[in-house]
Amino acid sequence: MKTYTYPQSQELFKRAGKVIPSGIYGHLGPSQGCYIPTQAFPFFLERAQGAYMWDVDGNRFIDYMCAYGPNVLGYNDPDVDQAVREQMQIGNCTTLPTAKMIELAELLVDTVDSADWAFFAKNGGDVTSFALMIARAATDRPKAILFKGGYHGVAPWAQKLGYPGITEADTENNIYVRWNHFEDLEQAVQQYPGQIACVMATPYHHPIFEDNQLPEDGFWQKVRKLCTDHGIVLAIDDVRCGFRLDTRGSDHYYGFKADLICFCKAIANGWNVSALCGIDGLKEVASSVMYTGSYWLSAVPFAAAIATITKLKQIDGPQTMLEKGKKLTDGLREVGSKYGFDLKISGESSLWFMRITNDDNLVLHQEWVAECVRRGVFFTNHHNQFINCAMTDADISFTLEVAEEAFKVVKERHPEIGG
Amino acid sequence: MVDENVKACINLHAVLRNMEDLCELDKEAHDIIQGKNVAIRFSVKNIPAAIMTFNSGKCIMEKTESRNCHMNLFFKSPEHFNLMIEGKRNPIPTKGFRHIGFLKRDFARLADRLSYYLKPTHELLRNKDSARINTILTAYTAFFAIPEIANNDLLGKLNASRIADGTINIEIDQGPAIHITARSGRLEAAKGKASNARAFMVFDSIDTASGILNGTLDSYSCIGTGQLAIRGLVPMIDNLNKILAQVAGYLR
Repeated sequence: MKTYTYPQSQELFKRAGKVIPSGIYGHLGPSQGCYIPTQAFPFFLERAQGAYMWDVDGNRFIDYMCAYGPNVLGYNDPDVDQAVREQMQIGNCTTLPTAKMIELAELLVDTVDSADWAFFAKNGGDVTSFALMIARAATDRPKAILFKGGYHGVAPWAQKLGYPGITEADTENNIYVRWNHFEDLEQAVQQYPGQIACVMATPYHHPIFEDNQLPEDGFWQKVRKLCTDHGIVLAIDDVRCGFRLDTRGSDHYYGFKADLICFCKAIANGWNVSALCGIDGLKEVASSVMYTGSYWLSAVPFAAAIATITKLKQIDGPQTMLEKGKKLTDGLREVGSKYGFDLKISGESSLWFMRITNDDNLVLHQEWVAECVRRGVFFTNHHNQFINCAMTDADISFTLEVAEEAFKVVKERHPEIGG
Repeated sequence: MVDENVKACINLHAVLRNMEDLCELDKEAHDIIQGKNVAIRFSVKNIPAAIMTFNSGKCIMEKTESRNCHMNLFFKSPEHFNLMIEGKRNPIPTKGFRHIGFLKRDFARLADRLSYYLKPTHELLRNKDSARINTILTAYTAFFAIPEIANNDLLGKLNASRIADGTINIEIDQGPAIHITARSGRLEAAKGKASNARAFMVFDSIDTASGILNGTLDSYSCIGTGQLAIRGLVPMIDNLNKILAQVAGYLR
C-alpha cells in the first residue's frame, strides 16, 4: 500500500507559524491533536466530501474525526447545503432575527425529550458556561459538581488551576468527583449543604487518553434523584455525544431527564451553532441572565441545523451510526488480535475510544495510528473517533484493510509482540 | 508568584548543581579544580542541603543530609541564599576556615564562569562551542528546576499531582539527556535516559533546545515542524511543561 508524505502541509505550517500562535492552535493542531509523529499526519485540507477529505498534498483520507464531531451526515450533505444556499439568499447575520430561529427552537422542543425551550449560541463552551450561570442564578448557590477528567470547554472555570491564565478564583467553586462513584456525589452534597448549584456531566464518561466508561446501571437515576431532592440543577453536556446516540437527547438514551442539556457539534453538520435546551422551570431564569453574541442569531446555521436534525430523524441517524460503529470496531479488534494486539474499544460505538493495551505507555498505539494515517485512514491517537451517516460498508472494508496492514507493519517493528 | 523557598531550592539544586557540568565542559573551570580536594556543604535554613565535592579533577554535587564535609556554609534563610547567588550577600562559614582561600579565590572564579555561561552575551552565543555549553547548562538548570518547583511550589504541586507515576525521558539528539521520575506526585530528576520511560521528549538539535529554553522558539510550533518530538503518555509531558513554564519566573 502506498504511504503518504506531506510536503505542502509542512510548507504551509511554516508559513502559518510566522503569523499564527502555534501555527495551528487548539485541537486541530499537531500539538494538542497529538499527531505522533507529526510527520505521519497532514496539517491542512484542500477539500472534503461525504466521509472523505483530501489534504493539500492530494492525499485522500477517510475521516474518522469528522471535524471532531460536527460532520454527522457527511461533508457537504446535499440537503443541508441546499437549505444553507436558500437561507443565504434571504439573509444571515441581520439586525433582527428571522423566523428560522423560532423554527429551530420548535424543532428542538419537539425532538429533544427534556426540552421546553432552546437558546442558541455558537460553540459548545458557550452553552456549558450559560448552563452554569443559569444554575447559579436559579439556586443562588456558587458551586458545581464536575467529574474528574470531564471536558466542558475552555472557559476559565472549565480549566484547571495551574494551567496558564487560570487563577484560583476561576476554579474555586468546582468540586470534582469520580465517574460512576455515586457516593462521591452524596458526600459532596453533604459537605457543601445549600452551596451546590449544579451537577454538570457528559452522558457517559469520555475523557481523552483514558478508556471511556458508560454509566453503571441506575447511576443516572440516582444522580437525578439526588439533584431533585437537594434543589440542584442537573446539566448534561451533550456537545460530543448529542445526536450520535439519540435525537431525543442522550439523557433520554440513558433513561433520565436533564434540567439543562447542551448541544453543538452534530447539530448542524458543521455549520456554526450551539444550543442550550431546558425545562420550563428554568426558562424565566434563562431570560434573566445577560448572555449574547454578535453571530448567535444568524439564520444560515439555523437553516443548516433544521435540515440536519430533520434528516437525522428521517434516517434514524444515531441508530445507523451506532450500527456502523459496531461493525467497524468489531473488525478493528479482530484484525488487531490476528497480529497479537489487544485493541481495547470503549464508550459508545458511534463515537468510540480505542487504545492498544499491550504496552503501558501508548507507544504501540501511536505507531499503529500513524501507519493508518499514512495509508489514508485518519484516526487521532487519544480522542474519541466519530462515525458519520455517509460511511458505507465499502468504507469500513477499506478501513479494515488499512488497519490490518498497519498492524502488520508495527508487528514487524516489534517482534516481541506475541500472537 | 515567586516563593523564596522554591527559588532557593532551584538556585541550589538546579543552578549551582551545574558546577558539575561546568567543570567538565569548560576548560578554564576544569583547570581551576585540578588538584583540589574540598567538600563544601551548603546549609540553607528550611531547604534540603547539598554537598559539592571537588576531587580528582571532578566536581560532584549531591543533595544530602550528610554533614561529612570540609567546609560548611550556612545561610540563615532562603532569602539569604538567594541574595548570595545574586552576589549581594556572603555565606556564613561555620566549619573549615582553612578552606576560605579556595572559597574566595577558586570558587569565586568558578561562579564567574557559571554566570558567564548562564547569562550569556551575544558574543558568547555567536561562538558555537560556548553556545553549546550555554545550552547544556541552561537545559540542566531548567530540567533540574522542575522537581524543585513540582515538590515545593503551590501550582507546581498541583500540576505534578496530575502526572502519572513513571519516567519521562528528555533528550537532545546528539546531546545530553535527563529523565524525570514521578511517584505519587513527587518528581525527581537524574542525568541520562531511563530504559523504562512512559513518555518521551526529544529535541532534534542543540539549537532547537536552546531556542525553546531561551524563549526564541515556540515549543508548540516546534512540535508541528518535528523539531521537538513527543510520544508516549503525552499528559505526563503536558503537565511537566506547565511546571517547566514556571522556571523562567523563578530565574528572572
